[in-house]
Amino acid sequence: MRPFLRRTRWPVGGPIGGTSSVILRTAVRLILPLTFLFAVYAALKGHNGPGGGFIAGLVASVGLCTYRMSYGYQAFHRLVPLHPRWLVFIGLGLAVGVAALPLAAGNPVLRSAATSIHLGNADLHLVSSTAFDLGVLMVVVGVAIGMISRLDEEAER
Amino acid sequence: MTNDLLGLLVVIPLASAVVSVALIGHPTHQRVLGLASQLTMLALALTWLVRIRDGEVMVSQMGSWRAPFGITLVFDSLSGLLLCAGLIVAISCSIHSFSLIDPQIERRYFHPLVQLLLMGINQSFLTGDLFNLFVAFEIMLMASYGLLSIGHTRQQMAQAYKYLLLNLVGSTVFVITAGLVYGMTGTLNIADLARMVVERTEAGVPLPTGFTGLSVLLLIVFGLKGAFFPLWFWLPDTYHTFPISIAALFSGLLTKIGVYAVLRTFPLVFAAGEARDVILPLLAISAGFTMFLGVLGAVSQNQVRRILAIHVISQVGYMVFGLSLMTAASLAGALYYMVQHMVVKSSLFLCCGVMEQHAGTDDLDEIGGLARRHRWLATAFLVAALSLVGLPPLSGFFGKLVLIREGWSIHWWLSTLALATGALTLLSMLKIWTLSFWRTEPAPSGADRRPTVRVESLRGAHVGIGVLVATALFVGLAAEPIYDIAFHAGQQLTDPTAYIEAVDPLRIAAAVESSAAG
Repeated sequence: MRPFLRRTRWPVGGPIGGTSSVILRTAVRLILPLTFLFAVYAALKGHNGPGGGFIAGLVASVGLCTYRMSYGYQAFHRLVPLHPRWLVFIGLGLAVGVAALPLAAGNPVLRSAATSIHLGNADLHLVSSTAFDLGVLMVVVGVAIGMISRLDEEAER
Repeated sequence: MTNDLLGLLVVIPLASAVVSVALIGHPTHQRVLGLASQLTMLALALTWLVRIRDGEVMVSQMGSWRAPFGITLVFDSLSGLLLCAGLIVAISCSIHSFSLIDPQIERRYFHPLVQLLLMGINQSFLTGDLFNLFVAFEIMLMASYGLLSIGHTRQQMAQAYKYLLLNLVGSTVFVITAGLVYGMTGTLNIADLARMVVERTEAGVPLPTGFTGLSVLLLIVFGLKGAFFPLWFWLPDTYHTFPISIAALFSGLLTKIGVYAVLRTFPLVFAAGEARDVILPLLAISAGFTMFLGVLGAVSQNQVRRILAIHVISQVGYMVFGLSLMTAASLAGALYYMVQHMVVKSSLFLCCGVMEQHAGTDDLDEIGGLARRHRWLATAFLVAALSLVGLPPLSGFFGKLVLIREGWSIHWWLSTLALATGALTLLSMLKIWTLSFWRTEPAPSGADRRPTVRVESLRGAHVGIGVLVATALFVGLAAEPIYDIAFHAGQQLTDPTAYIEAVDPLRIAAAVESSAAG
């Protein structure tokens, strides 16, 4: 149990490493899906506007860190069963793969391929750099929650 | 000439770093993977270097975004030579580390960090864009912070903190300056900046106001990374706390990136027009102090590691000397000097690692008699030390010859200082040699002299030293072909037409600029 959260002097009912504040715990249930939704929006918008994988990753990890603070270490593990290292690994692998793939076709690194799908009246513009952005997102989330967990472990000791 | 495979030199180390993270806990696999990736890169770089030996410029526009809008990778004589030398140094240091690295350190993120360091270094050499140069610096620095703090000793942490703080300041000034350059000129592509300078000079239009200030700021940033006088104070303390293989890698590569950045950007862009009259004297004064004070510091030291670390500074002075003359031949001399210095300096550090292992210390008062027991180590050290001093026909001689001859007509006092520095270098190298190798072993002082790292076999260390000393001999004996490439680089730096044409920043940029001016 971390000392700075224990200072609230509420009856300790929360799980290990979490806060006992009912307000925060209830709010987080709403905050977490909303931050994820906003992260997806930022990631997709990033192709032609401000946004992108990096920012989306930061937004998502803010949500995850708040969840970890309020529900504690064990609940967080149930939500994200992977070690953060693996998130970084998969994300980097995806990004490097997408960046290097054009080399096989004789194009320079990072060259993006694009295609359009017709869905009724609308056109869906699909680009390979979305996968790159997804990789970046995973790296950012992995690094952020990895660092927060590490700091938390130090504080909980 | 377009060569889109250039990106491989950045992708390979990144990919192998990623895989290496997954292999944590399997050091043997990590070693094989790291070595394989370094050897592949070296093979690629050498092939390309042979292809551009007549002064061509290889270019790849990343993501097919054309310059100056996208990021350009450029492989010309300058970056090619340095890439090859850097990779050889990295390979030798890796092999050396296989036998001398503490398993405790290796089990952590050692191998991935080395790969990321290489990625940053390769990208710094390849990139043709000022902001991307900043990014490459950051990648390299992040990896070096990791490598610095990986040992977790108290002394290491204190040094890592100092190093971190200084570099953070340097990076902040760098990114601010890059922003100012963009605000002033509308571009960060080095070829595009060079084009702007050339066109303005031809048309008689002065450079933007404040351009000289930017040049000085950039010089401070690169001088801090490259340990020029008076920004060299961080270096001696940092190097002697590392594991020795990492110290060798850093001494060969890290400060040289700062010198490279000056070599790449200043002759082409930032020492043009009025800035030239400010930058060149600054460089000349800095060169004199860096060379001479560096070597004086080294002579006064009594520990092998410290002597070698402070010599790095003094040697950087020679490169700055070449830069301060800024003629085609002197830039070629500085480039050749960099190549030989990377190889020679790292091999001295690698030798120092084995000496420490045998004697248990690097204090010159306590070691001795190594020549009798370790003949090959003694030979390797002597060859490397005399290359550093510049005895013909070893590599340092050719570097100094061109620099001093070129400097004689412009700054005779700098050439004289360079000669005096050479003599003092000889003195301090002979001091190490006679005290640690030649004399008989002094009586044990009673201090604890066990090696810091327990090792099973020194075979890896010997192979690493062997490869580097052989390369040092090659650089000296094959000075002519290497100088051919270096002279091409010098010419391209003083006359950027070929570089600009190869990168081909769009003419749109010129149109935008003229409409903004009118």
